[in-house]
Amino acid sequence: MSARKKPWVRSAFSQISITPKIDDNSTLPARTRSASAATTTRTELQTEDTIAFVDLTVNENKNETQPNSAGTPIPKDDWMGSFAPVTSEDLAVHAKKVAEVRDWFRHCEAVRKKCPAQLCLLTGPAGAGKTATVRILAEEAGYDLREWVNPVDCEVIDALGDQPRGNYVGSQLEAFKSFLLRASRYKSLLVQPRKRLLLVEDFPNVLLTDAAVLFEDIINEYVSYGKSPLVFIVADAKSRGLNISYKLFTDQLKSKFRIEHISFNAIASSIMQKSMKRVCTLMRQQHASTYKVPSQSVVDSIVVCAQGDIRNALINLHFASLKGAPNMPTMQLEAKPMKSRKRKAQSTLKSIGRDESITMMHALGRIFNPKLTEEKHLQHSPEEIAEAFSTEPRNLINFIHSNYLQHFSDIGHVVSALNDIGIADLMITEYRDDAVGKLGINIAVRSCMVSNAIPVSGWMPVRGPKRFLVQHQATAAEEKLLGMAYAGISRTLYSTDYSSFVRLIANRSQDIKSAETDKP
Amino acid sequence: MALWVDKYRPRELTKLDYHKEQAEDLRNLCKQTDFPHLMFYGPSGSGKKTRIMCLLREMYGAGVERLRNENMSFTTTSGRKIEVMTVSSNYHLELNPSDAGIYDRTVVIDLIKQVAQTQQIDITGQREFKVIVISEGDELTKDAQHALRRTMEKYVATCRIILSVNSTSRIIPAIRSRCLGVRISAPTEAEITTILQNTCKREGLSLPNELAKRVALKSERNLRRALLMLEASKVQQYPFTAQQEIPQLDWQSFLHETANQILSEQTPAKLEKIRERLYELLAQGVPPNLIFRGLVQQLVCNCDMSLKANTLKFAALYEHRMQNGAKHIFHLEAFVAQFMNIYKQFVSELIMTDDF
Repeated sequence: MSARKKPWVRSAFSQISITPKIDDNSTLPARTRSASAATTTRTELQTEDTIAFVDLTVNENKNETQPNSAGTPIPKDDWMGSFAPVTSEDLAVHAKKVAEVRDWFRHCEAVRKKCPAQLCLLTGPAGAGKTATVRILAEEAGYDLREWVNPVDCEVIDALGDQPRGNYVGSQLEAFKSFLLRASRYKSLLVQPRKRLLLVEDFPNVLLTDAAVLFEDIINEYVSYGKSPLVFIVADAKSRGLNISYKLFTDQLKSKFRIEHISFNAIASSIMQKSMKRVCTLMRQQHASTYKVPSQSVVDSIVVCAQGDIRNALINLHFASLKGAPNMPTMQLEAKPMKSRKRKAQSTLKSIGRDESITMMHALGRIFNPKLTEEKHLQHSPEEIAEAFSTEPRNLINFIHSNYLQHFSDIGHVVSALNDIGIADLMITEYRDDAVGKLGINIAVRSCMVSNAIPVSGWMPVRGPKRFLVQHQATAAEEKLLGMAYAGISRTLYSTDYSSFVRLIANRSQDIKSAETDKP
Repeated sequence: MALWVDKYRPRELTKLDYHKEQAEDLRNLCKQTDFPHLMFYGPSGSGKKTRIMCLLREMYGAGVERLRNENMSFTTTSGRKIEVMTVSSNYHLELNPSDAGIYDRTVVIDLIKQVAQTQQIDITGQREFKVIVISEGDELTKDAQHALRRTMEKYVATCRIILSVNSTSRIIPAIRSRCLGVRISAPTEAEITTILQNTCKREGLSLPNELAKRVALKSERNLRRALLMLEASKVQQYPFTAQQEIPQLDWQSFLHETANQILSEQTPAKLEKIRERLYELLAQGVPPNLIFRGLVQQLVCNCDMSLKANTLKFAALYEHRMQNGAKHIFHLEAFVAQFMNIYKQFVSELIMTDDF
């Protein structure tokens, strides 16, 4: 067995190290973030406050021995862990989504004898609670969770500084394959055998470049030999190039292997409020010595600025509730004019907040259907939109160009918008100064927002920019007709002067030839 | 079976059909031992390439006509592989750097170095230099042109460069001053008609004079197009009749139709359809400047004087932007939108004045 293959085996054995009996000094490989372990310790936490947590490694023990200047006890576990949901009711995910995932687990249970290797793909924005849901539900259904973590390369160097020969370290992909196939088949000797569930959140880097075919092979193999359900978790990425769920999990693949695709949404603010409340109560009850619960307005602003990312919200909450930390300054958001309902003025954290990242679709919506505030200002300023796309101005411009036309009803407005899109194109092409490109998209965005006085309303699907491949290739017959000269004709010349005539002549001479062969 | 264009291409300077005085000058040029870099310029289909080949034959003899095709591959600085097709003989090499797109600089430098660094072994009775023929030299990027200028000086002992360009305005002055310019004007319609007649005679066909005139007119003084057109019409219908239909260039008739559609309706919805058609033309490999020119020519036919001036003003503006920009379609479309706008205003004013 190669050196590379050892780690996951060890991880399987090291289950014992996190059973409560073992003392907390044992170092634990980071790769076993086992659901069972996490939850058992967590339940314990609620009863006796002191037991160290799973991820508490030697390092953190050292921390304890250091003099504590603030005089407050440092919490012995990680923040996210101790307040992580325990039951499915605690999850900050919409109940219907949870039910969907639970259905899949039930389905796995139902067909366990026949085809145990069921596949599931969870997608959604970061911090939507995908992993948490899987952990909780796996525990609920009695599965042990085995997760794949990309191994870090470690080269063996002997005392003389040489690398010993013959110590072949297998490829990451090999390791990944063997993880999938063996982790699901072979049982650990030391722990009570339970059903296993494989989790892949971290894809081997090879698969990310371009190896969709390779991936299909792996999946194919797993479907025929695997012995336990397999869950893939993929966070959404803004750009398509980075989007694993789009690149690896093609529709074709999904239908071929019947991969259940469950997509999570960003967490709604009401649900997030609820779970923040839960955390606050926990804090009050069990960690009163360490934390002070922040005021309601701070919690509200944390929820607002997390934009549906529960992880981010929890981190902010952690920071806000530390004793000795100053009150977090908040900033009033512009009050949105709402007609019927009276709305609380929203505020957001001044210092910390997620940058609002908007997707292409959102941006296009804001550009083509600009909303005005009461003072007749644009609600979303063109600068904001342009800023969000300053790294990929070309992409935005192309999208604007392929979609703007259907929103216009008057040709005069089209002229002014398109004129500025053209100017933007010139400015983006200017390579000597990056800032010019940013200004360019600003101009295009602004122009599209302002110049369309009579917008067309209605549902208009967004279209991607058109890509075309110039077809220069002459057919074999045409090429033969031209003979040696073909190489001397440039492609543009061929398509402008030659192609239509040569096609005619070539077709006809072929007809004649076939007629001649038919005769005898 | 070769195309008539190639089959009846004159092989010697003395056998050229028109510009005979110039041919004599070229012959005299070859008689001297030294020989400058040359730049043949003139419209497409006027016979630049033919003259270049004749000139080479005059210099090196019939050996120039033993051609071979070669696929040369180059590696750019960014590690990208590009392939360029070349036609060469023992004495010369012909290439189309424009096929390499923006990587033409690498092609120009590498190729010329390759050729120029090897000396002719047997120079008895021959020239001591090879010739590199660069067709469509005006499609070269500025970068490539500057690279070319340097190489021209450096390897002047072993190679000469003959450029074939449509217009000298896109050649940098440094290159223009290093070359002897030879202008090849397009043949007149009468000349084309005679050539068509001669060709038919050699093929053993009879061609009504009226048809020859019509083909000559349709070819826009482009001899290559005229010959291809004639051969295509022969394929379509023979014996010839005076009024038979002459096959058109696909993209031209497509463009014609596009222009008519622009005139028929001026709305964003129509603009969307026009965009699709423009994309189709671009995908067929028709260069955007030809599309632009064709559109303007068609549109202007339907305008009165003031509108004409306005149209041309905008055409110049957007064409300039198209040359500098990266996305041709934006600027083509912008021109169409602009034209639609002014044409719509023009028509509505016309209706208003009619009412009074």
